[in-house]
Amino acid sequence: MTKIASLHAHASYDVGHAHPVLRAHRISKEYVNGTFTALDDVSFELKENQITAFVGPSGCGKTTMLRIIAGLEHPTRGRLEVSGKPVVGPGPDRGMIFQAYTSFPWLTVLENVEYGMKIIGIPAAERRERAMSFLKLVHLQKFVDSYPRSLSGGMKQRVALARTLAQNPNVLLMDEPFGALDAQVRWEMQELMIELIEREKKTVVAITHDIAEAIYLADRIIFFSRQPGRIKADINLDFKNGKRYPLKEELIKLPGYVDLEYRLFAMMREEIRDASSGE
Amino acid sequence: MRKMTEERPASVGSIVQTPAAAPLFIPPKRRFLELREQPSPNRSLLLGALGVICFFAVWELGHYLTDASSRRFVPSVENVAAALYRLFAEQDFLTDVLVSCRRIFISFLAASAIALPIGILMGCFGNMRALLNPTLSGCRYLPAASFIPLLLVWFGPTDTAKIALLFLGVIFFLISLILDNTNAVQKELVEASLTMGASRRKVLTGVVVPAAMPAIVDSMRNMIAVAWTYLVIAEIVGAQDGIGAVMMRAGRFLSVDVIMASILTIGLLGVITDLLFRAASRLLFPWNIERRS
Repeated sequence: MTKIASLHAHASYDVGHAHPVLRAHRISKEYVNGTFTALDDVSFELKENQITAFVGPSGCGKTTMLRIIAGLEHPTRGRLEVSGKPVVGPGPDRGMIFQAYTSFPWLTVLENVEYGMKIIGIPAAERRERAMSFLKLVHLQKFVDSYPRSLSGGMKQRVALARTLAQNPNVLLMDEPFGALDAQVRWEMQELMIELIEREKKTVVAITHDIAEAIYLADRIIFFSRQPGRIKADINLDFKNGKRYPLKEELIKLPGYVDLEYRLFAMMREEIRDASSGE
Repeated sequence: MRKMTEERPASVGSIVQTPAAAPLFIPPKRRFLELREQPSPNRSLLLGALGVICFFAVWELGHYLTDASSRRFVPSVENVAAALYRLFAEQDFLTDVLVSCRRIFISFLAASAIALPIGILMGCFGNMRALLNPTLSGCRYLPAASFIPLLLVWFGPTDTAKIALLFLGVIFFLISLILDNTNAVQKELVEASLTMGASRRKVLTGVVVPAAMPAIVDSMRNMIAVAWTYLVIAEIVGAQDGIGAVMMRAGRFLSVDVIMASILTIGLLGVITDLLFRAASRLLFPWNIERRS
Protein backbone atom coordinates (compact mmCIF):
# COMPACT_ATOMS: atom_id res chain seq x y z
CA MET A 1 0.00 0.00 0.00
CA THR A 2 3.05 2.25 -0.16
CA LYS A 3 2.20 3.26 -3.70
CA ILE A 4 -0.07 5.96 -2.37
CA ALA A 5 2.88 8.26 -1.81
CA SER A 6 3.29 8.61 -5.55
CA LEU A 7 -0.13 10.23 -5.64
CA HIS A 8 0.84 12.81 -3.09
CA ALA A 9 0.56 15.53 -5.71
CA HIS A 10 -3.13 16.25 -5.90
CA ALA A 11 -4.59 14.50 -8.82
CA SER A 12 -7.11 16.53 -10.66
CA TYR A 13 -9.96 15.07 -12.64
CA ASP A 14 -12.07 16.41 -15.41
CA VAL A 15 -15.82 16.11 -15.50
CA GLY A 16 -17.04 19.58 -16.38
CA HIS A 17 -17.94 19.36 -20.05
CA ALA A 18 -18.41 15.61 -20.29
CA HIS A 19 -21.75 14.31 -21.47
CA PRO A 20 -23.72 12.08 -19.10
CA VAL A 21 -22.61 8.44 -18.99
CA LEU A 22 -25.72 7.53 -17.09
CA ARG A 23 -29.15 9.11 -17.09
CA ALA A 24 -31.80 8.08 -14.57
CA HIS A 25 -35.10 9.68 -15.49
CA ARG A 26 -38.00 9.61 -13.02
CA ILE A 27 -37.22 6.18 -11.64
CA SER A 28 -39.76 4.64 -9.28
CA LYS A 29 -39.71 1.22 -7.75
CA GLU A 30 -42.70 -0.29 -6.00
CA TYR A 31 -42.88 -3.67 -4.35
CA VAL A 32 -45.87 -5.92 -3.67
CA ASN A 33 -48.34 -4.20 -5.98
CA GLY A 34 -47.56 -0.70 -4.85
CA THR A 35 -47.89 -1.24 -1.11
CA PHE A 36 -44.22 -0.38 -0.59
CA THR A 37 -42.41 2.34 -2.51
CA ALA A 38 -38.66 1.91 -2.43
CA LEU A 39 -37.91 4.70 -4.87
CA ASP A 40 -40.16 7.60 -5.77
CA ASP A 41 -39.49 9.65 -8.89
CA VAL A 42 -35.70 9.75 -8.73
CA SER A 43 -33.81 11.54 -11.50
CA PHE A 44 -30.10 12.26 -11.88
CA GLU A 45 -27.30 12.21 -14.40
CA LEU A 46 -23.77 10.98 -13.90
CA LYS A 47 -20.99 12.69 -15.77
CA GLU A 48 -18.08 10.80 -17.19
CA ASN A 49 -15.21 10.31 -14.78
CA GLN A 50 -17.25 11.37 -11.78
CA ILE A 51 -17.30 9.54 -8.47
CA THR A 52 -20.74 9.68 -6.91
CA ALA A 53 -21.56 8.39 -3.46
CA PHE A 54 -25.10 7.29 -2.56
CA VAL A 55 -25.59 8.09 1.10
CA GLY A 56 -28.64 7.74 3.28
CA PRO A 57 -30.24 5.82 6.13
CA SER A 58 -31.05 2.13 5.89
CA GLY A 59 -34.09 1.48 3.74
CA CYS A 60 -33.76 4.69 1.71
CA GLY A 61 -33.62 2.86 -1.60
CA LYS A 62 -29.97 3.54 -2.41
CA THR A 63 -29.24 -0.16 -2.82
CA THR A 64 -32.34 -0.59 -4.96
CA MET A 65 -31.18 2.28 -7.14
CA LEU A 66 -27.73 0.72 -7.55
CA ARG A 67 -29.25 -2.67 -8.38
CA ILE A 68 -31.49 -1.03 -10.96
CA ILE A 69 -28.43 0.55 -12.57
CA ALA A 70 -26.73 -2.84 -12.52
CA GLY A 71 -29.77 -4.35 -14.21
CA LEU A 72 -30.33 -6.82 -11.39
CA GLU A 73 -33.71 -5.21 -10.66
CA HIS A 74 -36.14 -3.34 -12.86
CA PRO A 75 -37.84 -0.04 -12.09
CA THR A 76 -41.63 0.07 -11.96
CA ARG A 77 -41.60 3.41 -13.77
CA GLY A 78 -39.02 5.59 -15.41
CA ARG A 79 -36.14 5.25 -17.78
CA LEU A 80 -32.49 4.47 -17.33
CA GLU A 81 -29.81 4.95 -19.95
CA VAL A 82 -26.13 4.11 -19.87
CA SER A 83 -24.05 5.65 -22.67
CA GLY A 84 -27.29 6.53 -24.44
CA LYS A 85 -28.67 2.99 -24.43
CA PRO A 86 -31.59 1.91 -22.24
CA VAL A 87 -30.73 -0.60 -19.52
CA VAL A 88 -32.74 -3.81 -19.75
CA GLY A 89 -30.56 -6.20 -17.76
CA PRO A 90 -27.12 -6.77 -16.32
CA GLY A 91 -24.14 -6.29 -18.62
CA PRO A 92 -20.37 -5.91 -18.59
CA ASP A 93 -20.61 -2.18 -19.35
CA ARG A 94 -21.62 -1.78 -15.68
CA GLY A 95 -19.22 -3.58 -13.37
CA MET A 96 -20.39 -4.25 -9.84
CA ILE A 97 -18.54 -4.90 -6.61
CA PHE A 98 -20.61 -6.39 -3.81
CA GLN A 99 -20.29 -6.12 -0.07
CA ALA A 100 -20.24 -9.93 0.15
CA TYR A 101 -17.11 -11.62 -1.14
CA THR A 102 -17.80 -12.81 -4.66
CA SER A 103 -14.51 -14.39 -5.67
CA PHE A 104 -15.29 -17.81 -7.08
CA PRO A 105 -13.74 -20.22 -4.56
CA TRP A 106 -13.04 -22.94 -7.14
CA LEU A 107 -10.89 -20.62 -9.27
CA THR A 108 -7.45 -19.31 -8.40
CA VAL A 109 -6.96 -15.58 -7.99
CA LEU A 110 -5.65 -15.35 -11.56
CA GLU A 111 -8.52 -17.44 -12.97
CA ASN A 112 -10.98 -15.26 -11.08
CA VAL A 113 -9.65 -12.12 -12.72
CA GLU A 114 -9.64 -13.82 -16.10
CA TYR A 115 -13.22 -15.05 -15.69
CA GLY A 116 -14.86 -11.72 -16.50
CA MET A 117 -12.64 -11.14 -19.53
CA LYS A 118 -13.33 -14.66 -20.77
CA ILE A 119 -17.04 -13.92 -20.73
CA ILE A 120 -16.67 -10.83 -22.88
CA GLY A 121 -14.47 -12.77 -25.30
CA ILE A 122 -11.01 -11.37 -24.75
CA PRO A 123 -8.47 -13.80 -26.27
CA ALA A 124 -6.49 -15.97 -23.87
CA ALA A 125 -3.06 -14.38 -24.23
CA GLU A 126 -4.34 -10.83 -23.77
CA ARG A 127 -6.50 -12.04 -20.88
CA ARG A 128 -3.53 -13.45 -19.02
CA GLU A 129 -1.47 -10.32 -19.55
CA ARG A 130 -4.25 -7.96 -18.51
CA ALA A 131 -5.08 -10.07 -15.46
CA MET A 132 -1.46 -10.04 -14.33
CA SER A 133 -1.19 -6.29 -14.72
CA PHE A 134 -4.38 -5.65 -12.75
CA LEU A 135 -3.30 -8.07 -10.03
CA LYS A 136 -0.10 -6.11 -9.77
CA LEU A 137 -2.12 -2.91 -9.40
CA VAL A 138 -4.01 -4.37 -6.45
CA HIS A 139 -0.80 -5.81 -4.98
CA LEU A 140 -1.78 -9.44 -5.36
CA GLN A 141 0.92 -10.56 -7.80
CA LYS A 142 2.25 -12.98 -5.19
CA PHE A 143 -1.11 -14.68 -4.82
CA VAL A 144 -2.03 -15.41 -8.43
CA ASP A 145 -2.16 -19.17 -7.85
CA SER A 146 -3.86 -19.06 -4.45
CA TYR A 147 -7.46 -20.02 -3.93
CA PRO A 148 -9.68 -17.31 -2.42
CA ARG A 149 -10.21 -19.41 0.73
CA SER A 150 -6.68 -18.60 1.84
CA LEU A 151 -7.09 -14.83 1.35
CA SER A 152 -8.15 -12.19 3.87
CA GLY A 153 -11.32 -10.15 3.37
CA GLY A 154 -9.42 -7.15 2.03
CA MET A 155 -7.54 -9.34 -0.45
CA LYS A 156 -10.79 -10.90 -1.65
CA GLN A 157 -12.21 -7.44 -2.31
CA ARG A 158 -9.05 -6.57 -4.23
CA VAL A 159 -9.59 -9.66 -6.39
CA ALA A 160 -13.12 -8.44 -7.06
CA LEU A 161 -11.79 -4.99 -7.89
CA ALA A 162 -9.20 -6.37 -10.33
CA ARG A 163 -11.76 -8.72 -11.90
CA THR A 164 -14.25 -5.91 -12.46
CA LEU A 165 -11.77 -3.29 -13.68
CA ALA A 166 -10.14 -5.77 -16.07
CA GLN A 167 -13.43 -5.88 -17.95
CA ASN A 168 -13.11 -2.13 -18.47
CA PRO A 169 -16.73 -1.20 -17.65
CA ASN A 170 -18.14 2.26 -18.43
CA VAL A 171 -19.56 2.54 -14.94
CA LEU A 172 -18.21 0.97 -11.78
CA LEU A 173 -20.89 0.22 -9.18
CA MET A 174 -19.97 -0.53 -5.58
CA ASP A 175 -22.41 -1.68 -2.92
CA GLU A 176 -20.65 -0.91 0.36
CA PRO A 177 -17.58 -2.73 -0.87
CA PHE A 178 -15.59 -2.12 2.31
CA GLY A 179 -18.47 -2.60 4.73
CA ALA A 180 -17.25 -5.96 5.97
CA LEU A 181 -13.63 -4.91 6.46
CA ASP A 182 -11.98 -3.72 9.65
CA ALA A 183 -11.02 -0.06 10.01
CA GLN A 184 -7.39 -0.27 8.92
CA VAL A 185 -8.01 -2.48 5.89
CA ARG A 186 -10.91 -0.25 5.00
CA TRP A 187 -8.68 2.77 4.96
CA GLU A 188 -6.09 1.01 2.80
CA MET A 189 -8.83 -0.05 0.39
CA GLN A 190 -10.17 3.50 0.13
CA GLU A 191 -6.73 4.80 -0.79
CA LEU A 192 -6.23 2.01 -3.30
CA MET A 193 -9.65 2.83 -4.73
CA ILE A 194 -8.76 6.48 -5.33
CA GLU A 195 -5.48 5.44 -6.94
CA LEU A 196 -7.17 2.95 -9.26
CA ILE A 197 -10.05 5.19 -10.27
CA GLU A 198 -7.59 7.95 -11.01
CA ARG A 199 -5.58 5.60 -13.16
CA GLU A 200 -8.42 3.89 -14.98
CA LYS A 201 -10.55 7.04 -15.38
CA LYS A 202 -13.79 5.46 -14.26
CA THR A 203 -17.26 6.74 -13.64
CA VAL A 204 -18.11 5.37 -10.22
CA VAL A 205 -21.21 5.01 -8.06
CA ALA A 206 -20.49 3.85 -4.52
CA ILE A 207 -22.97 3.17 -1.76
CA THR A 208 -21.78 3.86 1.74
CA HIS A 209 -23.15 4.34 5.23
CA ASP A 210 -19.93 5.99 6.24
CA ILE A 211 -20.07 9.76 5.84
CA ALA A 212 -16.29 10.22 6.08
CA GLU A 213 -15.82 7.56 3.41
CA ALA A 214 -18.30 9.32 1.13
CA ILE A 215 -16.52 12.66 1.51
CA TYR A 216 -13.12 11.07 0.96
CA LEU A 217 -14.03 9.11 -2.16
CA ALA A 218 -16.70 11.16 -3.89
CA ASP A 219 -16.82 14.19 -6.14
CA ARG A 220 -20.53 14.29 -5.57
CA ILE A 221 -22.85 12.94 -2.91
CA ILE A 222 -26.47 12.04 -3.54
CA PHE A 223 -28.27 11.80 -0.23
CA PHE A 224 -31.41 9.65 -0.19
CA SER A 225 -34.26 10.04 2.29
CA ARG A 226 -36.30 7.07 3.33
CA GLN A 227 -39.80 5.79 2.70
CA PRO A 228 -40.35 6.61 0.00
CA GLY A 229 -36.78 6.80 -1.30
CA ARG A 230 -36.19 10.26 -2.74
CA ILE A 231 -33.17 12.43 -3.36
CA LYS A 232 -32.94 14.67 -0.31
CA ALA A 233 -29.80 16.48 -1.43
CA ASP A 234 -27.45 16.40 -4.39
CA ILE A 235 -24.15 17.86 -3.27
CA ASN A 236 -21.13 18.65 -5.40
CA LEU A 237 -18.02 18.55 -3.26
CA ASP A 238 -16.85 21.98 -4.39
CA PHE A 239 -14.55 22.42 -1.41
CA LYS A 240 -12.16 19.96 -3.07
CA ASN A 241 -11.65 22.49 -5.89
CA GLY A 242 -12.03 19.85 -8.56
CA LYS A 243 -9.23 17.73 -7.16
CA ARG A 244 -8.94 14.41 -5.44
CA TYR A 245 -6.98 14.02 -2.24
CA PRO A 246 -5.43 10.60 -1.79
CA LEU A 247 -4.18 11.59 1.65
CA LYS A 248 -7.04 11.82 4.08
CA GLU A 249 -5.29 14.15 6.49
CA GLU A 250 -4.88 16.76 3.75
CA LEU A 251 -8.53 16.51 2.84
CA ILE A 252 -9.64 17.04 6.41
CA LYS A 253 -7.52 20.20 6.63
CA LEU A 254 -9.38 21.87 3.77
CA PRO A 255 -11.83 24.65 4.62
CA GLY A 256 -15.30 23.36 4.00
CA TYR A 257 -14.64 19.78 5.08
CA VAL A 258 -16.12 20.13 8.53
CA ASP A 259 -19.10 22.11 7.25
CA LEU A 260 -19.94 19.38 4.80
CA GLU A 261 -19.48 16.63 7.35
CA TYR A 262 -21.69 18.57 9.78
CA ARG A 263 -24.35 18.99 7.13
CA LEU A 264 -24.36 15.29 6.25
CA PHE A 265 -24.49 14.20 9.89
CA ALA A 266 -27.37 16.60 10.49
CA MET A 267 -29.25 15.20 7.50
CA MET A 268 -28.65 11.67 8.70
CA ARG A 269 -29.92 12.55 12.18
CA GLU A 270 -33.02 14.12 10.69
CA GLU A 271 -33.76 10.93 8.81
CA ILE A 272 -33.19 8.73 11.83
CA ARG A 273 -35.37 10.96 13.99
CA ASP A 274 -38.19 10.83 11.44
CA ALA A 275 -37.93 7.07 11.39
CA SER A 276 -38.04 6.66 15.17
CA SER A 277 -40.93 9.11 15.58
CA GLY A 278 -42.94 6.77 13.40
CA GLU A 279 -43.34 9.03 10.42
CA MET B 1 26.17 -8.62 22.86
CA ARG B 2 29.82 -9.35 22.30
CA LYS B 3 30.58 -5.71 21.79
CA MET B 4 29.14 -4.75 25.14
CA THR B 5 31.40 -7.12 27.05
CA GLU B 6 34.42 -5.84 25.18
CA GLU B 7 33.65 -2.31 26.22
CA ARG B 8 33.47 -3.25 29.84
CA PRO B 9 36.62 -5.18 30.72
CA ALA B 10 36.09 -4.38 34.40
CA SER B 11 33.28 -6.83 34.61
CA VAL B 12 35.50 -9.76 33.71
CA GLY B 13 35.52 -12.14 36.60
CA SER B 14 32.59 -10.57 38.36
CA ILE B 15 29.40 -12.60 38.66
CA VAL B 16 26.75 -11.38 36.30
CA GLN B 17 23.43 -11.66 38.03
CA THR B 18 20.64 -12.79 35.77
CA PRO B 19 17.33 -11.45 36.93
CA ALA B 20 15.13 -14.09 38.48
CA ALA B 21 12.69 -15.48 35.91
CA ALA B 22 9.06 -14.67 36.41
CA PRO B 23 7.18 -17.49 38.10
CA LEU B 24 6.03 -20.18 35.74
CA PHE B 25 2.36 -19.97 34.88
CA ILE B 26 0.72 -23.27 35.61
CA PRO B 27 -2.35 -23.62 33.41
CA PRO B 28 -5.42 -25.27 34.91
CA LYS B 29 -5.71 -28.99 34.30
CA ARG B 30 -7.51 -29.98 31.10
CA ARG B 31 -10.47 -32.14 31.89
CA PHE B 32 -11.65 -35.02 29.72
CA LEU B 33 -14.90 -33.18 29.02
CA GLU B 34 -13.28 -29.83 28.20
CA LEU B 35 -15.75 -27.57 26.42
CA ARG B 36 -15.07 -27.32 22.68
CA GLU B 37 -11.66 -28.94 23.04
CA GLN B 38 -10.37 -30.53 19.83
CA PRO B 39 -8.19 -33.58 20.55
CA SER B 40 -4.93 -34.01 18.62
CA PRO B 41 -5.02 -36.38 15.62
CA ASN B 42 -3.14 -39.05 17.57
CA ARG B 43 -5.46 -38.77 20.51
CA SER B 44 -8.49 -38.92 18.18
CA LEU B 45 -7.18 -42.14 16.69
CA LEU B 46 -6.54 -43.58 20.13
CA LEU B 47 -10.00 -42.66 21.42
CA GLY B 48 -11.60 -44.04 18.26
CA ALA B 49 -9.76 -47.34 18.69
CA LEU B 50 -10.78 -47.40 22.34
CA GLY B 51 -14.42 -47.04 21.28
CA VAL B 52 -14.15 -49.98 18.90
CA ILE B 53 -12.47 -52.13 21.56
CA CYS B 54 -15.21 -51.26 24.05
CA PHE B 55 -17.82 -52.26 21.49
CA PHE B 56 -16.28 -55.70 21.05
CA ALA B 57 -15.74 -56.04 24.79
CA VAL B 58 -19.40 -55.37 25.56
CA TRP B 59 -20.38 -57.84 22.85
CA GLU B 60 -18.04 -60.48 24.27
CA LEU B 61 -19.37 -59.83 27.73
CA GLY B 62 -22.91 -60.25 26.43
CA HIS B 63 -21.94 -63.64 25.05
CA TYR B 64 -20.56 -64.91 28.34
CA LEU B 65 -23.38 -63.44 30.44
CA THR B 66 -25.94 -65.28 28.33
CA ASP B 67 -27.24 -68.52 29.80
CA ALA B 68 -25.21 -71.43 28.40
CA SER B 69 -28.31 -73.09 26.91
CA SER B 70 -29.04 -70.17 24.56
CA ARG B 71 -25.47 -69.00 24.15
CA ARG B 72 -25.35 -70.11 20.53
CA PHE B 73 -27.84 -67.36 19.66
CA VAL B 74 -25.42 -64.76 21.01
CA PRO B 75 -22.15 -65.82 19.38
CA SER B 76 -18.88 -64.42 20.63
CA VAL B 77 -16.59 -62.19 18.62
CA GLU B 78 -14.37 -65.23 17.80
CA ASN B 79 -17.39 -67.21 16.62
CA VAL B 80 -18.37 -64.45 14.24
CA ALA B 81 -14.81 -63.98 13.05
CA ALA B 82 -14.58 -67.71 12.36
CA ALA B 83 -17.90 -67.62 10.52
CA LEU B 84 -16.61 -64.73 8.43
CA TYR B 85 -13.50 -66.72 7.57
CA ARG B 86 -15.56 -69.79 6.65
CA LEU B 87 -17.88 -67.67 4.50
CA PHE B 88 -15.03 -66.31 2.41
CA ALA B 89 -12.87 -69.45 2.40
CA GLU B 90 -15.48 -72.13 1.89
CA GLN B 91 -18.75 -70.61 0.73
CA ASP B 92 -17.63 -68.17 -1.95
CA PHE B 93 -18.98 -65.20 0.01
CA LEU B 94 -16.89 -62.86 -2.12
CA THR B 95 -19.20 -63.47 -5.09
CA ASP B 96 -22.20 -62.51 -2.97
CA VAL B 97 -20.41 -59.41 -1.73
CA LEU B 98 -19.57 -58.38 -5.27
CA VAL B 99 -23.14 -59.00 -6.43
CA SER B 100 -24.39 -56.74 -3.65
CA CYS B 101 -21.79 -54.07 -4.45
CA ARG B 102 -22.82 -54.18 -8.09
CA ARG B 103 -26.46 -53.65 -7.17
CA ILE B 104 -25.61 -50.70 -4.97
CA PHE B 105 -23.37 -49.25 -7.65
CA ILE B 106 -25.85 -49.56 -10.53
CA SER B 107 -28.84 -48.35 -8.54
CA PHE B 108 -26.94 -45.40 -7.11
CA LEU B 109 -25.51 -44.47 -10.47
CA ALA B 110 -29.00 -44.47 -11.99
CA ALA B 111 -30.41 -42.48 -9.07
CA SER B 112 -27.60 -39.91 -9.33
CA ALA B 113 -27.93 -39.62 -13.11
CA ILE B 114 -31.57 -38.65 -12.67
CA ALA B 115 -31.36 -36.73 -9.40
CA LEU B 116 -28.47 -34.48 -10.46
CA PRO B 117 -30.13 -32.71 -13.41
CA ILE B 118 -33.56 -32.62 -11.76
CA GLY B 119 -32.22 -31.40 -8.41
CA ILE B 120 -30.03 -28.76 -10.01
CA LEU B 121 -32.82 -27.50 -12.26
CA MET B 122 -35.20 -27.32 -9.30
CA GLY B 123 -32.59 -25.53 -7.22
CA CYS B 124 -32.04 -22.95 -9.96
CA PHE B 125 -35.48 -22.28 -11.32
CA GLY B 126 -38.44 -21.46 -9.11
CA ASN B 127 -40.94 -22.59 -11.72
CA MET B 128 -39.32 -26.02 -11.97
CA ARG B 129 -39.41 -26.26 -8.20
CA ALA B 130 -43.06 -25.28 -8.08
CA LEU B 131 -43.88 -27.82 -10.78
CA LEU B 132 -42.04 -30.83 -9.36
CA ASN B 133 -41.51 -30.33 -5.64
CA PRO B 134 -45.00 -31.18 -4.34
CA THR B 135 -44.96 -34.49 -6.23
CA LEU B 136 -41.39 -35.45 -5.48
CA SER B 137 -41.39 -34.50 -1.82
CA GLY B 138 -44.65 -36.43 -1.47
CA CYS B 139 -42.87 -39.45 -2.92
CA ARG B 140 -40.33 -39.27 -0.12
CA TYR B 141 -43.01 -40.45 2.27
CA LEU B 142 -43.77 -43.59 0.29
CA PRO B 143 -41.95 -46.34 2.17
CA ALA B 144 -39.55 -48.03 -0.23
CA ALA B 145 -40.22 -51.46 1.28
CA SER B 146 -43.89 -51.19 0.35
CA PHE B 147 -42.88 -51.33 -3.31
CA ILE B 148 -41.63 -54.89 -2.91
CA PRO B 149 -44.89 -56.63 -3.93
CA LEU B 150 -45.28 -54.27 -6.85
CA LEU B 151 -41.73 -54.79 -8.04
CA LEU B 152 -42.16 -58.56 -7.71
CA VAL B 153 -45.24 -58.42 -9.93
CA TRP B 154 -43.50 -56.23 -12.49
CA PHE B 155 -40.03 -57.73 -12.60
CA GLY B 156 -40.27 -61.04 -10.78
CA PRO B 157 -37.48 -62.12 -8.41
CA THR B 158 -34.85 -60.59 -10.70
CA ASP B 159 -31.86 -58.36 -10.29
CA THR B 160 -33.92 -55.56 -11.77
CA ALA B 161 -36.44 -55.73 -8.93
CA LYS B 162 -33.66 -55.41 -6.34
CA ILE B 163 -31.93 -52.56 -8.13
CA ALA B 164 -35.25 -50.79 -8.58
CA LEU B 165 -35.94 -50.98 -4.87
CA LEU B 166 -32.55 -49.52 -3.97
CA PHE B 167 -33.17 -46.84 -6.58
CA LEU B 168 -36.57 -45.95 -5.12
CA GLY B 169 -35.18 -45.84 -1.61
CA VAL B 170 -32.64 -43.20 -2.55
CA ILE B 171 -33.83 -41.11 -5.49
CA PHE B 172 -36.41 -38.83 -3.87
CA PHE B 173 -34.24 -37.89 -0.91
CA LEU B 174 -31.28 -37.37 -3.20
CA ILE B 175 -33.28 -34.98 -5.38
CA SER B 176 -34.39 -32.88 -2.45
CA LEU B 177 -30.88 -32.76 -0.99
CA ILE B 178 -29.39 -31.68 -4.33
CA LEU B 179 -32.16 -29.10 -4.66
CA ASP B 180 -31.18 -27.64 -1.29
CA ASN B 181 -27.45 -27.71 -2.11
CA THR B 182 -28.08 -25.87 -5.37
CA ASN B 183 -30.45 -23.42 -3.81
CA ALA B 184 -27.90 -22.63 -1.10
CA VAL B 185 -25.36 -21.26 -3.59
CA GLN B 186 -24.56 -17.72 -2.50
CA LYS B 187 -26.82 -15.32 -4.37
CA GLU B 188 -24.02 -12.80 -4.90
CA LEU B 189 -21.92 -15.30 -6.86
CA VAL B 190 -24.75 -15.57 -9.39
CA GLU B 191 -25.33 -11.82 -9.46
CA ALA B 192 -21.62 -11.08 -9.81
CA SER B 193 -21.36 -13.30 -12.85
CA LEU B 194 -24.54 -11.80 -14.33
CA THR B 195 -23.12 -8.28 -13.98
CA MET B 196 -19.99 -9.50 -15.78
CA GLY B 197 -22.23 -10.38 -18.70
CA ALA B 198 -22.55 -14.14 -18.25
CA SER B 199 -25.45 -15.80 -20.05
CA ARG B 200 -28.00 -17.88 -18.14
CA ARG B 201 -26.34 -21.06 -19.36
CA LYS B 202 -22.89 -19.81 -18.35
CA VAL B 203 -24.17 -18.91 -14.89
CA LEU B 204 -25.66 -22.37 -14.51
CA THR B 205 -22.68 -24.39 -15.74
CA GLY B 206 -19.90 -22.01 -14.75
CA VAL B 207 -21.06 -20.80 -11.35
CA VAL B 208 -24.02 -22.62 -9.82
CA VAL B 209 -22.84 -26.16 -10.56
CA PRO B 210 -19.21 -25.75 -9.46
CA ALA B 211 -20.30 -23.80 -6.39
CA ALA B 212 -22.82 -26.46 -5.34
CA MET B 213 -20.74 -29.50 -6.27
CA PRO B 214 -18.88 -30.12 -2.97
CA ALA B 215 -22.15 -30.04 -1.03
CA ILE B 216 -23.78 -32.28 -3.65
CA VAL B 217 -21.01 -34.88 -3.33
CA ASP B 218 -21.53 -34.73 0.43
CA SER B 219 -25.24 -35.40 -0.07
CA MET B 220 -24.42 -38.33 -2.33
CA ARG B 221 -22.09 -39.71 0.31
CA ASN B 222 -24.89 -39.58 2.87
CA MET B 223 -27.44 -41.14 0.51
CA ILE B 224 -25.23 -44.05 -0.54
CA ALA B 225 -25.13 -44.93 3.15
CA VAL B 226 -28.92 -45.11 3.03
CA ALA B 227 -28.68 -47.34 -0.05
CA TRP B 228 -26.55 -49.79 1.96
CA THR B 229 -29.20 -49.88 4.67
CA TYR B 230 -31.83 -50.86 2.07
CA LEU B 231 -29.66 -53.65 0.67
CA VAL B 232 -30.92 -56.46 2.89
CA ILE B 233 -34.57 -55.53 2.32
CA ALA B 234 -33.92 -55.55 -1.42
CA GLU B 235 -32.19 -58.90 -1.41
CA ILE B 236 -34.94 -60.59 0.59
CA VAL B 237 -37.02 -60.28 -2.59
CA GLY B 238 -36.55 -63.73 -4.11
CA ALA B 239 -33.30 -64.22 -2.27
CA GLN B 240 -30.80 -66.02 -4.50
CA ASP B 241 -27.51 -64.25 -4.23
CA GLY B 242 -26.01 -61.22 -2.49
CA ILE B 243 -25.26 -60.59 1.15
CA GLY B 244 -28.95 -60.31 2.00
CA ALA B 245 -29.67 -63.73 0.51
CA VAL B 246 -26.86 -65.31 2.52
CA MET B 247 -28.36 -63.79 5.66
CA MET B 248 -31.86 -65.06 4.88
CA ARG B 249 -30.52 -68.56 4.33
CA ALA B 250 -28.52 -68.41 7.54
CA GLY B 251 -31.63 -67.29 9.36
CA ARG B 252 -33.45 -70.42 8.29
CA PHE B 253 -30.69 -72.54 9.84
CA LEU B 254 -30.49 -70.33 12.94
CA SER B 255 -26.82 -69.62 12.13
CA VAL B 256 -26.63 -66.42 14.11
CA ASP B 257 -22.86 -66.21 13.65
CA VAL B 258 -23.25 -66.04 9.85
CA ILE B 259 -25.98 -63.42 10.16
CA MET B 260 -23.81 -61.27 12.37
CA ALA B 261 -20.79 -61.75 10.13
CA SER B 262 -22.89 -60.52 7.19
CA ILE B 263 -24.14 -57.51 9.13
CA LEU B 264 -20.56 -56.67 9.98
CA THR B 265 -19.57 -57.02 6.32
CA ILE B 266 -22.28 -54.61 5.20
CA GLY B 267 -21.21 -52.13 7.85
CA LEU B 268 -17.62 -52.38 6.74
CA LEU B 269 -18.55 -51.92 3.07
CA GLY B 270 -20.56 -48.85 4.05
CA VAL B 271 -17.57 -47.36 5.85
CA ILE B 272 -15.37 -48.06 2.83
CA THR B 273 -17.76 -46.32 0.40
CA ASP B 274 -17.89 -43.38 2.78
CA LEU B 275 -14.09 -43.13 2.81
CA LEU B 276 -13.97 -43.42 -0.98
CA PHE B 277 -16.42 -40.54 -1.32
CA ARG B 278 -14.39 -38.42 1.08
CA ALA B 279 -11.22 -39.15 -0.85
CA ALA B 280 -12.93 -38.34 -4.15
CA SER B 281 -14.19 -35.07 -2.70
CA ARG B 282 -10.70 -34.06 -1.60
CA LEU B 283 -9.34 -34.93 -5.03
CA LEU B 284 -12.09 -33.19 -7.00
CA PHE B 285 -12.29 -30.03 -4.91
CA PRO B 286 -8.79 -29.16 -3.74
CA TRP B 287 -9.94 -25.57 -3.28
CA ASN B 288 -12.41 -26.70 -0.65
CA ILE B 289 -10.17 -28.82 1.56
CA GLU B 290 -9.95 -26.53 4.57
CA ARG B 291 -13.66 -26.82 5.03
CA ARG B 292 -13.22 -30.28 6.55
CA SER B 293 -10.74 -29.43 9.25
